[in-house]
Order: sequence, then structure tokens, then C-alpha cells
Amino acid sequence: MEFSSILFYVFSFFFIVSSIMMITSRNTAKAALFLILTFFSAASLWLLLEAEFLAITLILIYVGAVMVLFMFVIKMLDTDKSTLRAQFTRYLPLGIFVSIIVIAQMVLVLNAGQFDLAMTGVPEKHDASYSNITAIAEQLYTLYVYPFELAAILLLIAIIAAITLVHRNESRSKKQNISEQINVQAKDRMRMASIKPKSAKESK
Amino acid sequence: MIALSDYLILSSIVFCIGLAGIFINRTNIIMLLMCVELILAAVNTNFIAFSYYGGDLAGQIFVFFILTVAAAEVAIGLAILTLMFRSRGSIDIDVTNTLKG
Amino acid sequence: MLNIYFTIVLAPLFGSIIVGLAGNKLGRKASHSITILGVAISTALSLYVFNHHVLNDGEIFNQNIYTWMQIGGLNISVGFLVDNLTALMLVVVSFVSLMVHIYTIGYMHEDKGYTKFFSYISLFTFAMFTLVISNNFMQLFFGWEAVGLVSYLLIGFWHHKESAVQANLKAFLVNRVGDFGFLLGIAMVLMFFGTLDYAETFSQKDQIIGQTLFGGVSAITVVCLLLFVGAMGKSAQVPLHVWLPGSMEGPTPISALIHAATMVTAGIFMVSRMSPLFELSDVALTVVMIIGAITALFMGLLGIVQNDIKKVVAYSTLSQLGYMTVALGVSAYSVAIFHLMTHAFFKALLFLAAGSVIVALHHEQDIRKMGGLRKKMPITYVTSLLGTLALIGFPGFAGFYSKDMIIEAVHYSDLPFAGWVYFAVVLGVFITAFYSLRLLFLVFHGKSRLDSDTEEHVHETAPSITVPLILLAIPSVLIGYFTIEPMLFGGWLENAIFIDPSHHAVSKLEDHFHSAFSLITHSVMTLPFWMMVGGGLTAWVFCIYRTDWADLIQSKFKRINYVLNSLYGFDRFNEIIFVRGSLKIGNLLWKISDMAIIDQLLVNGSARFARYVGAFIRPVQTGYVYHYAFFMIISLMFVLGWVLVASDYSFFS
Repeated sequence: MEFSSILFYVFSFFFIVSSIMMITSRNTAKAALFLILTFFSAASLWLLLEAEFLAITLILIYVGAVMVLFMFVIKMLDTDKSTLRAQFTRYLPLGIFVSIIVIAQMVLVLNAGQFDLAMTGVPEKHDASYSNITAIAEQLYTLYVYPFELAAILLLIAIIAAITLVHRNESRSKKQNISEQINVQAKDRMRMASIKPKSAKESK
Repeated sequence: MIALSDYLILSSIVFCIGLAGIFINRTNIIMLLMCVELILAAVNTNFIAFSYYGGDLAGQIFVFFILTVAAAEVAIGLAILTLMFRSRGSIDIDVTNTLKG
Repeated sequence: MLNIYFTIVLAPLFGSIIVGLAGNKLGRKASHSITILGVAISTALSLYVFNHHVLNDGEIFNQNIYTWMQIGGLNISVGFLVDNLTALMLVVVSFVSLMVHIYTIGYMHEDKGYTKFFSYISLFTFAMFTLVISNNFMQLFFGWEAVGLVSYLLIGFWHHKESAVQANLKAFLVNRVGDFGFLLGIAMVLMFFGTLDYAETFSQKDQIIGQTLFGGVSAITVVCLLLFVGAMGKSAQVPLHVWLPGSMEGPTPISALIHAATMVTAGIFMVSRMSPLFELSDVALTVVMIIGAITALFMGLLGIVQNDIKKVVAYSTLSQLGYMTVALGVSAYSVAIFHLMTHAFFKALLFLAAGSVIVALHHEQDIRKMGGLRKKMPITYVTSLLGTLALIGFPGFAGFYSKDMIIEAVHYSDLPFAGWVYFAVVLGVFITAFYSLRLLFLVFHGKSRLDSDTEEHVHETAPSITVPLILLAIPSVLIGYFTIEPMLFGGWLENAIFIDPSHHAVSKLEDHFHSAFSLITHSVMTLPFWMMVGGGLTAWVFCIYRTDWADLIQSKFKRINYVLNSLYGFDRFNEIIFVRGSLKIGNLLWKISDMAIIDQLLVNGSARFARYVGAFIRPVQTGYVYHYAFFMIISLMFVLGWVLVASDYSFFS
């Protein structure tokens, strides 16, 4: 049993357990914290798979920015705890059942021998001078530069969308309310008044 | 030695846990979004495992893009969530069934 | 020679087109000159062609001029077949047409549509030429339809007259019924012989002898009967005769041209042309003969009670067409063509003479208002007399020879019912004499029944009217005497007509024939002669001697009078069964098929069905996203399960 195998089992244990804890927690904030732990385990696994750049990216950006955003929103919105509890146990058996079936099917498929070490071959471990960042950069900026630029535009769109959605200032655009316009009646717009005409002498 | 199949099984287990989370936590949209994040994490692990055992760096590039898109999606999802809360007063999913046919 | 044929056919067409398009600009004189020139050229060249082919034994000319289309193995083309029969028809048609053209100058003098009329009659002449000179069924059908079309245009020439419009529609529709049968016959010819060309069809005619259609009916009988249905429509045999009296609504020149001399004889011509086919089927020939006999006898009876001068001559035409058809039935094709030729001359003469009377009396057509015109219109009277004598078969005149030959041929025939047919045609002679002389006496003899101011103004009509009368009277008298022997027995029509040896009517005629003159001298011993005399005497009695006896008989035989006056009820029958029946079917189709089935069931019904299915499926869209996700996962589970268990990649293989 090599050290890396032990590490694999430890990290995967944390991965699975913390995800189960996340979905079964009643408190949303606690669920978010468990998710953060899950991400940490995932990052560790990725380090084992020699994807250092992505592991660090996961921690910095995903946990550091996205999960923080989650926490903000969780704390900002008021979630009702009682409704959570009521619905929880109703669907638990069905969910567990379907999940277990699918897991069993996947295990059957994946253990069938196509993905063994014999098929894939033992991957060579790079030495200490291997720079994952350099390797990714070599591919990213040459072969995949177009998707890279598109991803940048995508992020720009996300920014614009998020701002536009939440903007509170409603009067910046004029809108029509068609149903109100159709339902207008004469008495909303017009008032009949009886005005006696003044004679020419009086108006002087 | 850890084979590729081990990583794949791990990834599928976490994927199904995420799905189960979607079933179970119906009323809470934030939980929904977090389970989606979980699923994405499982899938990313899958990609990186293939990239390692296949020797091709394309898997990691793909994960890079998935992370980007997931971040964008979370941002917009949370913005929508905030709006929904503002207009309806709760984040109960039962209230949001106006797509009903 | 080809150029001559082209000129014959196309000269009237050019005249028609030029006058039709530019008639108003050219003026009346130029219009009639152009068209008459066209037809005169055709007449002259037709005589030349006749001389070449018949008198000098020219070769038969059969050539495809222009291939219209080729469909599969079928070649449809425009072609000319000129043999003795064609040459004869060309002469008859062109001569009568020329006479009618000249006559029209005087008759239509006051009419506004003067130039249009000339254009039409030249167009008709072209169409008739096309029909006669064709060498294949398709061109024949083209000519057939074209003459029907021009007949329709001309019957309704005075289109502001309601009765004329109804008559031309009736003519066209009844003709259409005949054409439908004709087209079926042509289609069957195509089916069995694989070609529409005459020569090829006739050369293969023995192949069809044994063949039958479904039900065991002999194929050749059906083909011949269908072709004869076309002849029934065009040549106005019972029951498709109802249009001919109505066609008298058109101006008299066309009654003479189309409905006496040429178009109605197209059917007779067609059957003669198809003689190789008809000879193969005794059943068809018997049917032809019987229908001809019915037409000859019963239409003649109707002629007795008519009071319109043109209607009498119309029913006379119907009766004589029946005679020609009878001749065709007993395989005496040359006799039928002979009678066609003589009839063309004297019937055209009688129509034109009637027109002369009508014009002189300012368009009065009721013979009860005429009388004693003999002295006031001498030329018309003499030519009418000659024409009438030809019609009734007075010995020596043209009609005598042709009609007697028909009667003798029927006498010698072996077909079933030939005895009854003989009785019918002999009785027909009596009737023909009766109504013809009744017409003559009532119009020209006796006391004048004209109203006074017409009587003052009546005088002989213009030379443009009387000259054609004279020119037509000459052949009515003479042509029979000179042409009977060569035409019937001398082989004039030999290369055009085929007679099966078992139908020996004509050969027996030939055995008994001595000379044309001997026929005259022997006539006093024959039954038809005395029939004619009897008919003439009866007419004299009722019309000159004791006119009150006519009224007496009319009041005593009221029922027969009613039947005759209602024309045997053919028109009522057609109206009730076909006209109202079609209207009812149309109504039914509208209410049930259109409104109920198509609108309600299919159109609205499919909309309702779509809505129903939609209402059924709509609840699946619950609006809850997790429902959708759930369904997706369940489906994934099932697909995975299926792949693992039951597919080619199964785990348990």
C-alpha cells in the first residue's frame, strides 16, 4: 500500500462524507461550510493527480469567491427552517433509493475492466521541475485561445446580467403596462364639469 | 496503485449524492445551487482523472473552462434568487411554479 | 401535292384569323372578300385533288407532317391521309362552304356581327378540313372538338337572345356526352393496338378479333360501340339528337353549313373511315343500324307537326342522318357516303331557301303565316321545288338514287332486325314525302296568310342569296345520276373502305344494278316509289285540297298529337333526370361531403383532436424544476439498466 494510495482513500473519504453531511444538514449555513470542506478534499485529490494549478484555482476562486458569495446571500435572505424540516423526510427514501441504484449501475460499469491499469497504463510521474502552470499555459494560449477569449466575454456578460437584474432603480426605463392601458375607462381620464359661461360684462 | 476506475467510481458516487441532494432539498433554492456545485466538483474530478491517466492535458483545460462557467452561473443564479426573494418574500420553491403548463 | 393539301386546309384559317382580328378595321367588303377568296381557293384545289385522286387514280397520300409529341412508344403527330374518301369529302365541304359564304353576304347584311360571322364560318371550314384530312385519331378528335366549338359559337351568335344561349349550351353539352364515349373508344383503340395512326391500326385489326374485356364482352364490339357513341353525338342520333332542333336558333347560313351538310356528317364520315374496325363486329353494326332506323322513322314523324320552317328542315335532317346511319349499319358504306354527298347539296339548298324566305318576310319563321309565295319569289320557289323533289326521292333526282340504294341495301342485309328496319325506312319515305310537300305547299302554294304590310313588301331576295341557291340546285338534280355507278360499284371508294365478304349487301346491289337510267324506269315497280306518291298525295289533300281535314285529324288524335308535340319527351327526361339529378347530387355533396365531412370532421376535428391530446399531456409540465430533474434521473436510471441488462453491451452476455 503506497502512501499515495492511503492519501487517496483518506481524501476520498472526506469528499464523500462531507458531501453527505452537506445534503443532510438542516441549516443552510452549515451546509455551505460542509461544501467548503468538500471542495478542499477535491482540491487535495487534484493535487494527487498532478493538477496543481487547478487545485489552487479551486481553492482561491471557487471557495474564496463563489462560496463567500453564497454565504453572503444565505445570511442576507431569511430562510424558514420549519418548512425545510417538514419536506425533508418525505422524499428521503425515494432519493436514496434512486441514488443507490444509479451508483450500483455505475460501479458495475466502471469495474468491468475497461478502465484498469492494464488498459490505461501506469501514468508516469513527473519530476519536481514539472510546472503544471507552464504546461497548461502552453496549451491554453495556443490551441485553446479562442475559447479562452470567449470565456472572458462570458464573464463579462455574467457581470452585466447580474448588475442588470438586481438594479433597484426602476425609473431608468420607461415601460408600458398594457393591461392597465386597456382597462382605462373614460371616467379615469375625463371629468365632466358644468361651468356657467361668464357674460362679457362680468369677465371684464 | 490507484487505477482510473477508482477515481471514476468516486466521482460517480459524489455525483449521485448531489442528485440525491436535489431531490431531498426541494424547498430551498440555495441548497439546490449548492448541490449543483457538488455535481460540478464531481465532474471536474472525473475530467482531471482522465487527463492524468490519459496523458492529455485537454482534460485540465476543460476543467478550467468549467470553473469559469460555473462561477458565472452562480453569480447570475444568486442574482435571480435575490430578486425572487425581493418580489415574493420567501425562497420556497412551491411558490415558483409559474412555468406550470 | 403536299403544298396543295396545306393550302386547302390553311387558306380558310388565314382568312378567318385575318378577318377575326382586323375585321372591323378592314370593313365589310374586304372581310367577306378575304374569306370568300380563302374558301374559293380551297374549293378549286379540292376539285383538283378530286380529279387527281379519284378520276385519275392517284396514289393514296399518307404522311405525318409534324410530330406533336412522343410519349413512351406512342407517337402523336399531325398528318394527312388523302384518299378517294377524303377527296370526296373535301369537295363537298368546300363547295357547300363556299356557297354559304356567298349567301351570307346577303343574309347577314343588316347584322352587326358581320365580319365576326365570316371569321367563324371560315374557322369552321378549317376545322372540318382538319377532321377530314387527318390520318390519326388524335387529329380527328381535334377537328371533332373544333367543329363542336365553332358550332357552339355560331349557334349562340345572337348572344343577347336567351333561347340562343340556352341552345348553344345544350348543343355543347350533348356533344360532350358523345365525345366522352368517343374518347373512351379512342383510348381503347390505343390500348389494344398501341397506336393512334389509322394505317397502323387497320393493319393490326385482326389481332383484336378474339380479345375480350372483363365480363367476356368482345373487345372490338365495345370499341366500335364507343366510337359510334361519338358519332351519335355529332350526327344527332337518338337519344343524343336533342340539340339539333335547338341549333336552329343560330343564323340560317350555319344551319345550312354545319347542321345539314358538314358537321353532322362528321360522324358518318368517321364510321366509314373506321370501316375495317366496324366490319369485325356484327353486334356493333346491328346497333348502328337499329339506332339509325329509330332516328329515321321517329324524327320524320316529328317533322309533320312542326310549324317553324327551319324546324321542319331540321327534323328532316335528323331523319336523313338516320338513313345514312342505317346504310352504315348494313355495311353499305359507299351508299352512306353517297347519300351524305347528295344530302349535303339538297339539304343545304333547302336551308338556304328557307333563309331566303325568312329574309324576304323580315324574319318571320312560322309557316302558318306564309303562303302563296310562289309567284312573288320565283327563283326561291323553283330551287326549293328542286330540292324538295331531291329530298323525297323523285325519280331521277339525286336523292332518289341514294335513298333507294339504302333501302335496297337494307333489303338484302342479313343482320338481325333487318326486316323491321326495312319496314321503318320504307315508311320513312312516306313520311318524308308528306312533311316535305306539306312544307312546300304551306309556304309557296295556296292562299296567302301573310299580314298585309309584309305582303306588300315581299319580293325576291338579292342575287347574293339566290345565286348560291341556283348553284346548289344543279348538283341536287344531276349529281346522283352521274355518280351513282362509279361511286358505289365502280370502285371510287374502294381504297378507303373495307367490307367484310360476309356482309354482302353492296355486292348484291351490284348484282341487281344495270344502269342509272334503268333505275328510273324500274322505279314505278318499287315500293318506295308508291310510298312517296302516297305521301305527296296526302300532303296535297291536307294542305291544298281540304285544309280543314287537318284540323279534324288533329282534334281526333289528341294523344298522338301531344306525344309528337312534346318531342317524345326527350327534353323533359333529360331535364328531370340529368339536370335536376346533377343539382341534387351537387347539393348532397355540398351538405354532406363538404360541410359535414371535410369541414366538421377533418378540419375542425383535427383541431379538436390536437386540443384534446394537448389537454391530456399538459399536466406533465408541472412547473416544478425538481420534477423535471427527477424525471431525467429516473430515465437515466432506466437507460443504464437497459444497457446493462438487455442490450448488446449487456453485462450478462
